[in-house]
Amino acid sequence: MSTPPAKIHNVPMGEGPSGRAPKGVGPARIGIYAFLVISALFFLLPLYVMIVTSIKPMEEIRLGGLFTLPTTITFEPWAKAWSSACTGLDCRGISPGFWNSVKILVPSVFCSIFVGALTGYALSFWRVRCANLLFAALLLGAFLPYQVFIYPLVRIYSATGLFSTIYALVLTHVIFGLPVMTLLFRNYYAGIPIDLFKAARVDGGRFFSIFFRLMLPMSIPMLVVAVILQVTGIWNDFIMGLTFGGLANRPMTVQLTNLVAPTEGEIAYNVNMAATIMTAAVPLIVYFVSGRWFVRGIAAGAVKG
Amino acid sequence: MLQKYRALIGANALALALAQSAFAAEKAEVLHWWTTEAQSKAVKVFADAFNAAGGEWVDNAIVNGDVAKPTGINRIVGGNPPTVMMMNAGKQFGELADQGLLNNLDDVAAAGDWKKSLPADVLEAVSRDGHIYAVPVNLQTPNWLWYNKALFEKFGVQEPKTWEDFFAAADKFQAGGIIPLAFGAQPWQQHQLFNGVLAGAGGRDLYLSIFRDKNPEATKTPEFKRVAETYAKIRSYTDPGTPNRSFNEAASMLTTGKAAMHIMGDWEKGEFTAAGWVAGEDYGCVLGLGQQNFLMDSNVFIMPKGESEAAAKAQALMAEVMLDKDVQVKFNNLKGSMPVRNDVDTSGLDACSKVGLEVLEDPGKQLAGPDWLAGADMLNSLADVVVEYWATPSETPDEFADKYAAVLSEFQE
Amino acid sequence: MKQRPIRWSVYAGLTPAILIVVFAYIGTIIWTVGISFTDSRMLPVARFAGFNQYVRLFATERWLTSVQNMVIVGVLMIAISLALGFLLAVALDQRIRAEGFLRTIILYPYAMSFIVTGLVWQWILNPTLGIEQTVRGWGFENFRFDWIIQKETAIYCVVLAAVWHAAGLVMAIMLAGLRGIDQDLWKASRIDGIKPWRFYWHIVVPILRPSFISATVLLSLGVVKLYDLVLVLTGGGPGFSSDVPAKFVMDYLFQRQNIGLATAAATTLLITVLCALTPWLYAEYFRAEKRKD
Repeated sequence: MSTPPAKIHNVPMGEGPSGRAPKGVGPARIGIYAFLVISALFFLLPLYVMIVTSIKPMEEIRLGGLFTLPTTITFEPWAKAWSSACTGLDCRGISPGFWNSVKILVPSVFCSIFVGALTGYALSFWRVRCANLLFAALLLGAFLPYQVFIYPLVRIYSATGLFSTIYALVLTHVIFGLPVMTLLFRNYYAGIPIDLFKAARVDGGRFFSIFFRLMLPMSIPMLVVAVILQVTGIWNDFIMGLTFGGLANRPMTVQLTNLVAPTEGEIAYNVNMAATIMTAAVPLIVYFVSGRWFVRGIAAGAVKG
Repeated sequence: MLQKYRALIGANALALALAQSAFAAEKAEVLHWWTTEAQSKAVKVFADAFNAAGGEWVDNAIVNGDVAKPTGINRIVGGNPPTVMMMNAGKQFGELADQGLLNNLDDVAAAGDWKKSLPADVLEAVSRDGHIYAVPVNLQTPNWLWYNKALFEKFGVQEPKTWEDFFAAADKFQAGGIIPLAFGAQPWQQHQLFNGVLAGAGGRDLYLSIFRDKNPEATKTPEFKRVAETYAKIRSYTDPGTPNRSFNEAASMLTTGKAAMHIMGDWEKGEFTAAGWVAGEDYGCVLGLGQQNFLMDSNVFIMPKGESEAAAKAQALMAEVMLDKDVQVKFNNLKGSMPVRNDVDTSGLDACSKVGLEVLEDPGKQLAGPDWLAGADMLNSLADVVVEYWATPSETPDEFADKYAAVLSEFQE
Repeated sequence: MKQRPIRWSVYAGLTPAILIVVFAYIGTIIWTVGISFTDSRMLPVARFAGFNQYVRLFATERWLTSVQNMVIVGVLMIAISLALGFLLAVALDQRIRAEGFLRTIILYPYAMSFIVTGLVWQWILNPTLGIEQTVRGWGFENFRFDWIIQKETAIYCVVLAAVWHAAGLVMAIMLAGLRGIDQDLWKASRIDGIKPWRFYWHIVVPILRPSFISATVLLSLGVVKLYDLVLVLTGGGPGFSSDVPAKFVMDYLFQRQNIGLATAAATTLLITVLCALTPWLYAEYFRAEKRKD
C-alpha cells in the first residue's frame, strides 16, 4: 500500500542519523544546537506555564509573572481541581469528567477496533462485491468534516432515545473511528502472505474462525498501534462529547471547558491549569510510555484529524 | 395532602380536580438552565411547591442556555421530550408550536383566568395564532444601570438619568483611575447593551420601527445616528480586558470597587446578593438611561406533547403551581425579577424591583423586548453587525447604519 | 483468487461497516444536502427554497470572514509547520546529542487535545496575564503583545497555536523520510564538495517530495476540521474576526437554530473537501491498486 501516512512505519525512526558527521565544534554546529534549543523552549513553554502555575498559590499569581518559578509550592490547586472545583452548582471537580471519559473510552476503543479489524480482514482476504466502493466510502468518511454528519445523527439518536446516553457516544466513536481502523488493518493484512490464508481455508477454516483464531492473534502489533491511536483520539475528542453526550456523560475535555469558564469573580488560574494538565495527562502518558508506537499511530491515524 | 395543596393553590374547582389526580404523584422532568446560586434557590421554590402539590419534580438543569436549548429542542423533535422546558417568551418556541409539538394551554389559561391576572403583552408573547403555548413566570428588563454607591459618593457623582449624565460621570471616574463601565464583550452582552442604547437614546419609535416593522429606513434617521455614536463612545470607557468576560465577572468588578457602573439585566442582583450587597445601600439602580423604558422579557415554560396522559396532567399542575400568587412572590424575590401577575403583594420586593414596578405601571413605558418582536435569526444577524462595530473602532456610524439596514431589509416582511 | 460463491458469513462480518456507510455516511450526507435546499430554521421543513440559503450564505459577512480565515490559517499554518518541521528534522539528523529527548519534546504537543492547546495558549497570549504582563513586569511598560484581543491579529494566534500543535508531526514525517535516504548520496555529496544547504535544497527536498505531500494533506485536513482550537482560544472573536467555517456551522446548527443556512455551509465545506480530495484519493489508492493487479 502506498498510503503516505503509512510510509512512516516502513522506515523505523531509530535507524540512526544520516546527516553529516560533525567536523568538530564550528559555528554551524553551534547554530544547529541553538536552533534546536530555542525550538525546544518554544514547545516546552506551555507545559512549563501550566505546571508552574498549577502549584502556585493564588496570592502569587495575582502579583503577575506567569513564567516565574513559584516561591511557595502548593498542591492544593490539584486537589481542588480534581474533587472540589465548581462547574455551576456542581462542585465535584474534574473527576466526574475523568470517569466519564473512561466509561466512554473503554467500550469505544474495544468496539471500534473490533469492527475495524473485522472489516479490514474481510476486505483484504475475501472477495466481496463492491469492495472498492465500500472502501472508498469509508475513506471519504475519514476525511469529511463532522459538520456534515452531525445534525442528522442528532436527530437519529433523539428519535431512538439514544441521545445524551453513553451508547450514542460509543456508537459515534465507532462510526468515525471505522475508516482509520479499517485502513490500518487492511494495510496490515495486505502484508500477511496470502498462502497462510489459503492454508487455513484448506484446513476448513471459515470466515469468523480464521479471523478469531489466526488473524487476530497475528495482529498484536497493529492492535497496539490501534489502541494507542484510539485512546488518544477518543480521549481528546471534544465535539462528539459536546454534541451527543449530554450533561451526565460529558467527557473530561467538555467538562474542562465548563470548569475554566469563569463563574466567580476571580479566576483561579492555578486550579484551571491543574485541571488542564489532568485532562492532558492520559494521552501524554500514552505518548511518553509508548514513544515509537505512538509515532506510528499518529502517522497512520492523523487522517482522522 | 389535600389540605396542604388547597392552602397553596386556593380552592377552585380545577385545582380540586387536579389535586385528586395529583395523588398519583405526577412525574415532571423539568429542563432549565438556571444554575447560579440565586437562580437555583429560585427554582427550588417551584420544585417544592410542585412536590407539595402532589407532583414529583425531576430536575434537569443544564449549565448555559446555549447548550440547554438545543438539547431540549432536539429531544422534543426527536420524540423524547422533557415534560416541561424553559424558554424565553417571544418567537423562540413558535416553530415548535407550528409543528404541533407543544401542548396548547388554552384550557389551563382559561381555568386560571390568565386574561385578568397577566399583562396583555405577556399573554401575546406566549401565544401563537391566538393559542397559548407557554407559562410565563416573571418579568425582567435587560437595560438596568447598576452602580457602586460608595464610589459615586467618593467622586461626588449624582445618579445619571441620561446618556449625557452617564458620560459626564464616566469622565470623572476615568480621571480618578476607576474603570467607568464594567463590561464583558461577549456577543449577547454587546447586543443587549446596544438594544438598551437603542431604546434609551434612540427612543421608543425608533426601537419599534426597527424590531417590529423591520424598517431599514429607520437607520437613516438622526436618532439612529445618535444611537450609533453613543454606543461607539461607550467603548472608550471600558478596560482592555473585556473580550470574553462573563457578566458575573463584570459584576464582581463593581463589588470589588474596580469599576463604577455596569449595564445588565435584573439577574445581576443575584450576583450582588451573593457578594453580600444590599439594593439601595451598597448599589443603586437606574432603569433605562435616557428614555425610561422597561424592555419586557419573560422566562416561560413550554409543555411539549408527550405520549402519556400522566404527562399532560403533570403539565397542567405545573402551570397552576408556577402562577400561584405566593409562589410567584417567593420565586421572583429570589430570582431578582418581577412577578408576572399584576395582583400579588409587592411590599416584600427590594428597592430596585420597586423602581422597576413603578416604571411598569405606566403602560407608555412598557416596551416589548427584541425577542418578542423578532425571530432569533434576525436578532442574531443584527448581533453580528453590532459585535463587528464594537470590535472595529475605525467603522463609522454611517457604515454601521448601512450594514444594519441591510440586515433589516433582508427580514422586512 | 478465483470466483467463489457468495459467503454469507463474509457479509455478516461486513454488516456493521455497510450499515455505517449507508446510514451514518451516505444517509446523513443526503439529509444534510437536502435540508440545505429548504428554508428550514429551527426544525427541518420540506419547503423547497432552491439556492436561497446559498445566496444568503455568500452574502453573510461572517461566513466570508470565516472562509477567509480558513485560507489564512491553511496557508500560514501549513507553510510554517512544513518549514519548521523540516528544519527541525534536518537539525535532528546531524548526529546531535540527546536526539531522542529533543524529539520527544518537539512531538509531545501533538498528543494534546485542541482543547488543552487552546486553553494554555489563551492564557499565555492573554495580555493581562501572559507574555505582555510579564514583559511589562520586567520594566518595559509600553510593551504590547495583545494580538488575541485585536480584531486584525486574533487569527494569527490561531496559527501560532496550530503550528505549535502540528510542527512535531511534520518533524516526525520528515525525519523518517531523511532516514530513508540512501547513505551513498551523502558520501557522494561530501566527496563532490557540495555545500550542505545546496545539497539539502536541490537533492534532499525533491527526494522528500512524498513526505511533503503527505504532511500537507494531513495538515490541510486538520484545517478544514478546525473547531475546538478556535472555540477555546478566541471563541471566534473579537467580534467574529477569527471565526472558521466549522464553527460557523456548529453555531448556526445549535445556538442559532438556523439549520437551513448551517447545512448550506456544511454542504459548501463538503464540496470543497471533495474537490480537493477526490483526485488525490484516486491517485493514492485506486490507481496504485490497478497497477498491482
